[in-house]
This record gives sequence, C-alpha cells and structure tokens, in this order.
Amino acid sequence: MDASSYRPAVVIDNGTGYTKMGFSGNVEPCFIVPTTVAVNDSFVNQPRTSNKSSNWLTQYNAGVMADLDFFIGDEALARSKSSSTYSLNYPIKNGQVENWDAMERFWQHCIFNYLRCDPEDHHFLLTESPLTPPESREYTGEIMFETFNVPGLYIAVQPVLALAAGYTTSKCEMTGVVVDVGDGGTHVVPVAEGYVIGSSIKSIPISGKDVTLFVQQLMRERGENVPPEDSFEVARQVKEMYCYTSSDIVKEYNKHDKEPSKYIKQWRGIKPKTGAPYSCDIGYERFLGPEVFFNPEIYNSDYTTPLPAVIDKCIQSAPIDTRRALYKNIVLSGGSTMFKDFHRRLQRDIKKIVDARVLASEARLTGGMKSQPVEVNVVSHPIQRYAVWFGGSVLASTPEFFGACHTKAEYEEYGASICRTNPVFKGMY
Amino acid sequence: MILLQSHSKYLLQLLTNRLQNLDKGVELDCQWIEFDDVRFNVQTSMKNPLILLLSVSLPTPPPGAMFVGGLPSGSIEAIKAAYGTVVKMLDPPKDGYNLTLRLNFSKLSPDEETRQALLMKVASVREVVLGAPLRVILKHLASRSLAPDMDQLVALVHRPNEAFFLIPQTEKVTVIYPMRFKDSTDTCLATSFLQEFVEARRSASAGLNNAPSCLWSPSPPEELAGVPAEALSANAGFVSFVIFPRHVDSKKIDRTVWLLSTFHAYVSYHVKCSEGFMHTRMRRRVESLIEALDRAKSDPEKTKKVGTKTSFKRLSLKDSRSNSNSKASASWR
Ligand SMILES: Nc1ncnc2c1ncn2[C@@H]1O[C@H](COP(=O)(O)OP(=O)(O)OP(=O)(O)O)[C@@H](O)[C@H]1O
Ligand SMILES: [Mg+2]
Repeated sequence: MDASSYRPAVVIDNGTGYTKMGFSGNVEPCFIVPTTVAVNDSFVNQPRTSNKSSNWLTQYNAGVMADLDFFIGDEALARSKSSSTYSLNYPIKNGQVENWDAMERFWQHCIFNYLRCDPEDHHFLLTESPLTPPESREYTGEIMFETFNVPGLYIAVQPVLALAAGYTTSKCEMTGVVVDVGDGGTHVVPVAEGYVIGSSIKSIPISGKDVTLFVQQLMRERGENVPPEDSFEVARQVKEMYCYTSSDIVKEYNKHDKEPSKYIKQWRGIKPKTGAPYSCDIGYERFLGPEVFFNPEIYNSDYTTPLPAVIDKCIQSAPIDTRRALYKNIVLSGGSTMFKDFHRRLQRDIKKIVDARVLASEARLTGGMKSQPVEVNVVSHPIQRYAVWFGGSVLASTPEFFGACHTKAEYEEYGASICRTNPVFKGMY
Repeated sequence: MILLQSHSKYLLQLLTNRLQNLDKGVELDCQWIEFDDVRFNVQTSMKNPLILLLSVSLPTPPPGAMFVGGLPSGSIEAIKAAYGTVVKMLDPPKDGYNLTLRLNFSKLSPDEETRQALLMKVASVREVVLGAPLRVILKHLASRSLAPDMDQLVALVHRPNEAFFLIPQTEKVTVIYPMRFKDSTDTCLATSFLQEFVEARRSASAGLNNAPSCLWSPSPPEELAGVPAEALSANAGFVSFVIFPRHVDSKKIDRTVWLLSTFHAYVSYHVKCSEGFMHTRMRRRVESLIEALDRAKSDPEKTKKVGTKTSFKRLSLKDSRSNSNSKASASWR
C-alpha cells in the first residue's frame, strides 16, 4: 500500500449549482462553492492588429496570462460583477460536464487554492449523475491522472452515495429510492444492494433553478420593487430562507389572507447600481415555490406529472421483489429538498397513491383477501443538503475504498477506459 | 500570478465562523491535510464556545534538520511573539500532532481590525511554525549579523523527509533546494521550468532587478559538499537563491519566509498548471482536427457525428510539449 492510503481521500461532489469539497472522514465538506469559473477574455477578444509578426509574442504572452487569470466560486461571481473583463462560465449543465477546459480549471483551483492539498498525496473520490455517459468518466480520468497525477480515483454515482449517507454504525441500507433534487436536475433513482436499477431511473425537468425562476416570476408579476439585474439572486435567497411546503394550497392562501402579518415577510436589499436601499414583500411565493414539485402545471404547462407520482411509477417499474424495500426507504438528497416539511408532503402523497392502488386491487379480488399494507417511508436527515458528499466521505474512509480505486499504474497500463466502470465495493453494504 | 497564500483558507473560514457565532457552541472535530503533509485538526465543544483547539502536525524531518522537542527550533518563541495571550500551547500536544494551540476567543482584542489580523495569523500557523528557523536566520541577515551557535550549513525541513539548505553569512544567505518529483513528465517539465525561471531572472526584463539572483544546476553545488549523499538525490537538479539584506527588511520578511519555505510547492503547482494548459490545447487541437476531417468527407451521408467528445490521448504529447515550457516561465514573468 502506498503512503497516500494513510491520508484521508479528497471527496469532491461537482453539482450543476454547487460543488461540495472536502476530506473523507469529516462530517461536513470544507467548502461549498458555486460551480462557476470567471475567465478573463479581454486577451482573447483583442482585435488582431495588422502587423502580426511584431505583435505575435505579446499576444502569445497575453494569452498565457489569460490562462492563469481566472477565479472560481463566489470569487468568480464577485469578479464578473465588478468588472466586465471577466465572463462567467458554468462548466456543468444539467448534471453533465459541458466544458472540460473550464472544468479542469475549476478542479485546479479547488485542489490548489481551496483545499490546498498536493493531489499526488491523496486518493480522489468524484461523483457523477446517474445519466452520465462512460466517455465522460474517461475524460475525468484523463484529467485526474494526467494533469493532477492522483494516485487513485473512484467515480461514484451520486444517488448511491446519498444512500450511503444513511450509514449508521450498525448497518448501511443499500436498497432504496433516492430522490435527488439539486439545482439542475431531479432524478428518482432506485438502488438495490448498491446497484442502480438503470432501467427504472426517472428524471423530471423541474429542479431548484425552476423554483428560483418561479419565485422570481411571481415577485415580478406582483410588481415588487427589485432591481432586475439582482432579481434572480434575490429570488434564490428568498427561496432558500423563506419557502416551505404547504399541506394544501387553498388552506394556505386562506391562512395568508387571514394573518398577513404572520405570513408575509420583508426583504431588504441595496440596489447594486445606485446603492440605494429598497425593500419588498414576500407573500404567496413562500409556499407556491415548492408547490411546483407537487403541481407542476402551475409553473409549466408542458410538464404535469407530480413528483410523488413519478416516484411511485419508478418503484412500480422496478423488479417486483424489490418494491416493498424501495417504498420503505425513500431517501432525500440535494439542496432543493430542504424546504420545510418537504418529506412530510412527499410521504403523505405517495402513501395516498399506494393506498388507493391497494384498495382498488382488493376490490377487484373477490373473496375479501387482505393484502399486507405497504410501508411508505420518506427518510430525511439533517445533512440532506450535501448527503452525496457525506456519503462519499463515509465510503472513502473505509479501508475497502482504496482497493476499489483505479490506480495510476492501472491507468498507465490500460488507459482511460478503466474509468468507465467503478464497481460497488464492500463497505457499501 | 499564481502564488500560494500563506493562510489556510479553510482554517480562516472556520475561525471567522466561530467568531461570528460565539454565543452558540458547536461540536466540531475536523481534520484535513495541506501540501507537504501538514495536517490540521480543529476541535470545539458545546460546553465552552469560547475555546478552540487547533492541532498541527508537521512533515517528518529528515535527520539533521533543526528540530527541538518535536518542533522546528525557534517556533515556540515565534508562536508567543505572533499570538500573545490569545493562544496557549498545550503540553503535551494532542496525540499524533506536533503542536496543539488553545485559542481563547474572549481574549481577542475588541478592535475589529486587530481581531481579523490575529485570526489571519492563526490561519497562517504553518508559516509561523515551519518558517521559524528560517525567520531567525533572515532576521540576523537583516541586521547583518550571524545567529549564535548556528552551523555553516543549515538543513530545514520543507517536505516529508526532505530538507533544503541554507548557508548563512553576514552579508548574504544562500538557499539551496534539491528538486525531486515522482512522475517522469513532471520531472521534465520542472527541469525546463526551472531553467527558464533562472533565464527570466538573468535577462531581467521587467522589475526583476531587485529579485534574489538564482541559479540552477543539474548536480549538487559545491556548497553542499559535506551533506550525505541520500539528502542530495534530486532528479530535477538544484536551485539556489542568494538573499541579501534588502530582501528581508521588516516589511518583506514575512513574505520572503513564506516564499522560500514553499518554493517546492510553488514549482509543483506550476508544473500541474502547465500540464493542464497543455491538455486544454490538445483538446482544442483534436476538436479542430475532427472538424477538418468531417469537412473532408465528401459524401454527406458519412458526416454523421463522430462525436465532439474525443480523447486528447489520441494525439501525441510531443507537439504541445514544445510550447509548454515557455508557457510555464511566462507565468512567472
Ligand atoms: N435551504 C434551502 N432551501 C431550499 N433550497 C435550497 C436550500 N439550500 C440550497 N437550496 C437550493 O438547492 C440547489 C442546490 O442544491 P445541490 O447543491 O444539491 O445541487 P447541485 O448538486 O449543485 O445540482 P445537481 O445535483 O442538480 O447537479 C440550489 O438551487 C439552491 O438554491
Ligand atoms: Mg448534486
């Protein structure tokens, strides 16, 4: 065993919206930063002057400097706001890496400027969405082994890690349905004994970003006085601070109308251009935002299947002998499941669907046969927001992890294609 | 310019967070590792929100490095000087660590700016402790004297089981680094990076005239004559800097200490960046080649997508390697 196995592994969960990074064995990631890179493109866009030859070297050097002149995360957002020379790039779209150059730079800063570790000293655990094609894993492998010289790499599937996050000292339940609602995608993924049941994965086109957009739209339509250039950011913060899941919209409307002082919140901000303070009301969007998961038609007329129905369909499409176990362990993960009472609503709605089905089938079967009731259990835990990262942290601190990693030597022997498969390893169950 | 900062971003974030929530205690126990095998552990408890325990473990020193009681010589004085009464050293330190500091938030100055400066200093604990012996030597250089009972050749640990060397004199201090890399590509890149680095200093284009002069040689410089051979195995040669009193005046000394004690990490960071840029270029190259190939296909039926995602491995490393060296040095300029 080489020395790096005695050090904690680096665990990075790259999400569409946020990247969670840290060291295995810890409860929390060291940093949660927006997955964005601000690159200086003033050099790139420089008009090519006619006397090319004399200018070539300066242009070349300028290009080199541009390569080094970039920021990630919150710093990137701040830079792009304060100066027009930087443009923002979001390397991950809907859970898939779209821009590998930006991604490589992003990792570079994560490793050297945020975690400040020597990548040669640590095994790495990275994550990917359940729909990632194997080619993308090869790319990741190339960058990790060639650029950063990591000694070992494991690429885990996000929902599997989220299941592992429920790990207790006694037992790790590796069968369940993971409902991962992040920033750029919502996936319902059934897992049996640590293996994803690929054919039953369901995705829905509504996620955290849509909730933000909907809140923004509601506030705009009511004529709230928010500066337009800030309105998306304000909507996101309003969403994260004030939104909650209601049990019934009609009742909730009534509650708001009866006691506005209790339900209507105030938002205070400063206009970025003039520096003048402003304030606005936050009303029905508090519960209408999360409602898009349960009644999608209020947001988007093209997509109308509620999340609980999708979860039910997903379980119904899984092999019959796993279904009961799946209903019993529906695990939430991702920032957009953080709304207050989200798991209660989900549990109630799924239970309703299941009970209706049981009743219907009992009615069909004459002779009064009673089937065993189906237990529905939506599990929510405090580390839900970064459950994927935490699961990674737990798994990467088991001794089996180092054996499951692809090593640099294997990479050199067989090439990047080894990264295509990342076997489930003991310690996962 | 890409330089490593002397403070740990994560430690600073933890400290700032604690300072903002002193009324609420939290149960914290986290550990992490920085480059060169410097390990940290931070513990706080619900019971006493004003106290934070910070433990640090340092790279294992090679034989002959200046270590006293498990710490670089002079570091106890350096800790006292840097933190005053806010920080107490615990004896013995936490198991498995070289040093445990007990930070008492209630003793922080009420002045916001002083507080921030102190937290920053705590977050730079690695510079304070590991840089202590170097600082003592450079302080003497600033006053053009020699530290008492100092050998003619001093070895200081900077990486696990690896040292760099100092030759202190009253008018100048020579600093010599044996450069070692694990990977063969890294070794090549580092070697040419260092040669260009020295060249950049020599041709001294813009504003480098005051920088310390530096040299690179493939074999150990004669100053290292008495050093055991195993400490001198270096696959990327030897770099030496000559530091004069003007480089270590009171304003510059902190920076100089930090840059000298992390020079190896700096080069290694640049090598990784250069490899990253090579790959970016290779990917672009592959993409444009595929486009060209696509265009060349006359039959429109054949122009089905070959896939824009193609591995850069299919291109040889050679064609971009020639660019990368000048790139690395340009980053330095
Ligand atoms: N307390 C909160 N309440 C509601 N939403 C939140 C909360 N905290 C974060 N979010 C939202 O969660 C989303 C980010 O979640 P997460 O970090 O899981 O996504 P991601 O991993 O970046 O994306 P994906 O998994 O889709 O690639 C953002 O839209 C953010 O606004
Ligand atoms: Mg995610």
